[in-house]
Amino acid sequence: MAIIERPSTELEVSNTPSVVAPSTTLGNLRRPVQSTGWKSWLFTVDHKKIGIMYGVFAMIFFIIGGVEALLIRLQLAAPDGKVLSADLYNQMFTMHATTMVFLFAMPMAAAFANYFLPLQIGARDVAFPRMNALGLWFLVVGGLVLNAAWFLGGAADGGWFMYAPNSGPVFSPSNGVDFWTLGLQIAGLGSLIGSINLIVTVLNMRAPGMTMMKLPVFTWMILVVQFLLVFSLPVITVALVLLMFQRSFGATFFDVAQGADPLLWQHLFWIFGHPEVYVLILPAFGIISEVLPTFSRKPLFGYPFVVFSGGAIGFVGFGVWAHHMFAAGLGPVSVAVFSVATMAIAIPTGVKIFNWTLTMWGGKIWFTTAMKFAIGLVVLFTIGGLSGVTHSVAPSDTQQTDTYYIVAHFHYVLFGGMVFGLFSGFYYWWPKMFGKMLNERLGSWNFWLMFIGMNMTFGPMHILGLQGQPRRMYVWTEARAGEGFFNLGFWNLISSIGSFVLALGVLFFLINVVQTARKGKQAPFDPWDARTLEWITTSPPKEHNFDRIPTVHHLDEFFHRKYVEDEATHTMKAIATGEEIVRNEEANAESHIHLPSASYWPLVLAIGVGVLGLGVLYGVPIMVLGAAIVLLSSFGWVMEPSVAEDSDYDPPAGGTSKELASHG
Amino acid sequence: MSRHAMSARNARRVRALAITTLVGASMFLAGCAKDAPQDVFQPKGENAADINNLQYMVFGIAGVVGVIMTVLFVVTMTKFRDKGQPIPEQSHGKPALEITLTIIPALILSVVGVFTFRGVFDLAETKDTELVINVTGQQWWWEYDYPVQGDWGIDKPIITSGQLVMPAGTKVLIRETSRDVIHSYWIPALNGKRDAVPGRIHTLRLHADNPGIYAGQCTEFCGLSHANMRMEAVALSNEDFATWVKNQQAAYKAPQKDSLAEQGEAVFLNQCVRCHQVNGLKKPDGTAAIAAPDENVYAGAAPNLSKFMSRNTFAGAVWDLLKKECRGNVWDAKSEEFGAKYLEGVSADCLNEVDLRRWLRNAPAMKPMYADPTKLEPTDGKYRGMPYLALSESDIDKLVAYLLTLK
Amino acid sequence: MITTGSKYFYGVTALATIAMVLYMLFVNPNDIGTVALGSLASAAALLGGLTSFTRDSTAHTAKEAVATAEQPAPAAVWPLIVAVGIVMLVFGLATNPIVFVLGIVALVAGGVEWLVQDYASRASADSTFNSQLRGRLLHPLEFPVAAAVIVGIIAISFSRIMLNISKSAGAIVFIIVSSLILIVGFLVALKPNMRGRAVGALCSVGAVALIGAGIVTGISGERAELVEAAEEDHYSHMECGAEADKYFDKHPNNAVSLKSATLATITVRDGKAVATLSGLDTPVETVTIPRSNNVQVLFRNMDAEEHRLVAELGEKPVADTGVKEKVEQCTQLTGEDQVNVLTLNIPKSSEAAGPYKFIVPGLEGQAIEVYVP
Repeated sequence: MAIIERPSTELEVSNTPSVVAPSTTLGNLRRPVQSTGWKSWLFTVDHKKIGIMYGVFAMIFFIIGGVEALLIRLQLAAPDGKVLSADLYNQMFTMHATTMVFLFAMPMAAAFANYFLPLQIGARDVAFPRMNALGLWFLVVGGLVLNAAWFLGGAADGGWFMYAPNSGPVFSPSNGVDFWTLGLQIAGLGSLIGSINLIVTVLNMRAPGMTMMKLPVFTWMILVVQFLLVFSLPVITVALVLLMFQRSFGATFFDVAQGADPLLWQHLFWIFGHPEVYVLILPAFGIISEVLPTFSRKPLFGYPFVVFSGGAIGFVGFGVWAHHMFAAGLGPVSVAVFSVATMAIAIPTGVKIFNWTLTMWGGKIWFTTAMKFAIGLVVLFTIGGLSGVTHSVAPSDTQQTDTYYIVAHFHYVLFGGMVFGLFSGFYYWWPKMFGKMLNERLGSWNFWLMFIGMNMTFGPMHILGLQGQPRRMYVWTEARAGEGFFNLGFWNLISSIGSFVLALGVLFFLINVVQTARKGKQAPFDPWDARTLEWITTSPPKEHNFDRIPTVHHLDEFFHRKYVEDEATHTMKAIATGEEIVRNEEANAESHIHLPSASYWPLVLAIGVGVLGLGVLYGVPIMVLGAAIVLLSSFGWVMEPSVAEDSDYDPPAGGTSKELASHG
Repeated sequence: MSRHAMSARNARRVRALAITTLVGASMFLAGCAKDAPQDVFQPKGENAADINNLQYMVFGIAGVVGVIMTVLFVVTMTKFRDKGQPIPEQSHGKPALEITLTIIPALILSVVGVFTFRGVFDLAETKDTELVINVTGQQWWWEYDYPVQGDWGIDKPIITSGQLVMPAGTKVLIRETSRDVIHSYWIPALNGKRDAVPGRIHTLRLHADNPGIYAGQCTEFCGLSHANMRMEAVALSNEDFATWVKNQQAAYKAPQKDSLAEQGEAVFLNQCVRCHQVNGLKKPDGTAAIAAPDENVYAGAAPNLSKFMSRNTFAGAVWDLLKKECRGNVWDAKSEEFGAKYLEGVSADCLNEVDLRRWLRNAPAMKPMYADPTKLEPTDGKYRGMPYLALSESDIDKLVAYLLTLK
Repeated sequence: MITTGSKYFYGVTALATIAMVLYMLFVNPNDIGTVALGSLASAAALLGGLTSFTRDSTAHTAKEAVATAEQPAPAAVWPLIVAVGIVMLVFGLATNPIVFVLGIVALVAGGVEWLVQDYASRASADSTFNSQLRGRLLHPLEFPVAAAVIVGIIAISFSRIMLNISKSAGAIVFIIVSSLILIVGFLVALKPNMRGRAVGALCSVGAVALIGAGIVTGISGERAELVEAAEEDHYSHMECGAEADKYFDKHPNNAVSLKSATLATITVRDGKAVATLSGLDTPVETVTIPRSNNVQVLFRNMDAEEHRLVAELGEKPVADTGVKEKVEQCTQLTGEDQVNVLTLNIPKSSEAAGPYKFIVPGLEGQAIEVYVP
């Protein structure tokens, strides 16, 4: 397209006025159907690209949240620290938790779910591809709104749990909490949209022959997580809306002078908050339920038990929220009931640990980095889970709650559990996603530094908590630190040093990623001799995933296509390699493959919602503008067909175009 | 390197790590602070002791399970590493084993559950209360008021702050609430914590076996100076407590005429009485000087300073009123001698003048509070915390002399 | 991309921007001149962008230019609307601001429609393609706006009707109208061959009736009771005496939800009022309330007769008059076995502004002292 166009001055004289076919005078009204370049990422609806973008954003927020944590640990390395003021410290711990939970952990799980769930069930994409993109952009807009507060008057400073009445306009006068409520509402909407999408995908788009009890465990765990989200996100949305109306529009939902009860916020928050922790951990459980069998060369021990215990955790998880409120004055009846319920939920979790260990038992264990991280999860989650059981005893918990002992518990289950599971997923699935193998030596450094760093940082916190150091304090003093060499000061210092070792471990991962991108080893289609459907694709998979949708006859279908069991000796005989199976699929590729086209609307709609949210803070005219953008882009979306017209392609499709031809 | 050899090397590393971990863990468990003032494993009263018994039970079980699981992990990883064996039998599970492994933890937890259930209700018992004290949390200090209870000699309500004085060996019930945001009252040696929620009254039992001073901290995030909101429970023998009660109810002793303290009284009437109440203090015209914190402080109250020097911490129990040399005498005194030492209060030669003066000079510089007069719009122009008063050094001298008479 | 037409607009933008900067520097940054020049620059930039975007609405080749020129211009109502808009705008300046606003709306809507229709009609020789193109541009705007407007008209008309007629009449009208809609819709659904015209006629009749009724009742105004309640602020009248108040005690709260951990409960049983503090079993004569604390006190009536709880909280001077008025807070009249709650905040101690007490009007000598230390 020339910058300056001049109309042609030629005049062709033709004898018969012909009806001229419409030409491409539509300017920028074409759909963004490019398959390369930045536009192909910004407007994509392909689940794989969306998954990668979720992962990239999650990683960015992981680093931001990690820096916030390092600052916290620097402040607490010595008594009466001067690194952060009280105000800044309060903002730091609030944003660290909010960023890690909502902007790193949930999106990273969404990254894996988006990329691999359709592949694992033998589908070409999710049920609602544009909605999938919308979920991603809601996350990005929400994360930006949340973190914009740093530059616009101070971030939220009431803790990630934001208890009322401290969160009200009187006690938190800066705008930080407003940005927090808005950012979380937007990000929460994104997760809700994604959850409905994935539920419909799993229920409706499985490959032929794949019954529910042949679903890979990762898919099962993700499905349970989506149901948890569907039922818990609305609760926190309600709480956030009530808080937003109190702060911005003068409502009195949490105003004690008007008769409100501050415990209302706590109940609303924790009814969401407890299922949320299962939302965080179950995807990691799912990942290692794929990794452990693959590298033990045996199927998962007790597949039905693992699946049903996942469902049980999800279900019972809605009945234990008040264990976060044992000291909140609920009265002995409620406390006793929730205490017993919390013990009950330890049982299905324990079942899983046994099943994973028994999967390895009798196996042929191959200690790749992915496997190390998976085993690390099992070990560290056991520790975290056991400390969790000590909390379930309510009277004991009234000593432990709001101290560093709780911080130790949830970091063991979240970092040692969830983050290790995610890293296991990185190393396991990187070859499939990017066609290159992550370096195993760097991976080893990555793992050991993270393992040692994690234990150094969070192990001492058990002692700190049980010896009386409460949470959320911007300084600690010698007066309460006890005597002796191993006093609270010593352990605080060890913990701070450990956090930097941990950061170094994460750095090694990033180095590994960059190194691999530059000169990584090419990955075969099936580097790990794996078991599930996502490996019956090229590395990386083609845009349409499978050349031919596989028909499923077994759980671990891929493994059964490679090996048969010799009836007499019970040994496994290889009948095909992964490479051969993929080439075979290519040779029998289907001829008509329909894929949805990219679209502007999800991004525009997400930006509109962002503007609408900011309008709550900055004035009604901006709200009106935001509402107008939302309204118009919704209608634009609805009236746009899912597949772009031929005339949108350049040159038009159906000819010698290199673009994916769309038929019908 | 072959997969084989790599696995062998990794298995050796795993073993090395397991041993290091076990050694580290034992060092860990031994490496605790001695006499950490807020240690939850050193109960000093019957409620805390009940909790401690439950704690030992469940920590013990968790510890045993932890050791068993560790051994299981290490054995699994070493025994079944890739030694070149063929792909193993693809067993899918043994339902009988799994059901057993589900039932065993369920049984263990049921036992724990029964004890827990009983513990919860035992600790919630309030019928046999012997003394009631009302506790009110406020950003960032604690107020105590003792309602009239004739059995204990409390004929007029007493208001103090910072240090909760109670009789030892007595079932004391505190009724907690808050004036602004949620706080939490926690004296680990005496009981678990209970949140102080505005608009609600929560009860908590405190029982100290012996006289002594027991440290505590606010444990619910309450804003800027949450870290600077501490308290102590001071347990006295019954006689000592009766003495203390009588002293708190004793009439106000005006300072000697023409002393520095009398000039300090004038400064106090000028500046401090806007928020701080001293019972019995009279204005120059003879009428009672009644503090009006409801007009100056958002939450409507400020610490009552009558008998200020009968306690030995101030400003939310963050700073000592006693000099370092004298502090040990009281804080580390043996149970039998503690009461007498505590009742001595703070005298001029033991006063921590440095910190007290710093506080009077510029309180917001010592403790982050919302006391900037230009930023009081969200709270209708009222303070949250003590403001900077721009007192001259001579005024501070006078005030210190006056405060020393409040005993 | 930078077409001939757009060059003009970009030129205007550049010149206007320079002029604005010079104006700000040398004359006055804060007056209307800056705003005018800035607006001119923005408007010109917008128009320039539009022109680039639509490439001057020109066809690519002369061949097509010939083809489209053969098309006669279609009939269009938009010029008329624009004209009407201009007239209303001017008219409204002199008379009613509403007319002015409507004029602007007509002008903008008509202008946009006219512009797009013209652009679309010259895009090619194929009129189907042209109308599709027009639709593609404008339907995302027309449909939501039209939907919003229609929903708004229905909602406003209906609400005017409901606010005007009495409550019982309103219920009857609502039932009748909704049943009618249901029945008609049902009949239409049963007859798929029904002509669009017939359905359209039915809808028009309904719309006219609704809007007409809405206008009539809107002019007539809200019913008397609503007007009176707003003017006289009925529900804040609190008679803290024994007798029922006409408005405050209408539909009294029968139960209190989510109130646990209150400071005290005051129970009326057999003509006696008894106070118990939370956490303690034995009744007390004095309730201690810490000053400036928001506390909740439950009132439970176990007697057959209705009672209310009144907190007498001293006196307060009325602003500027020096007269002191009693400060009282009370619950509504509470029936047998029902619970009500009082939320109190007493800023001054009993010594300073007391004495404070709880009384139950109608029960003599049943005062409970309130002590604020």
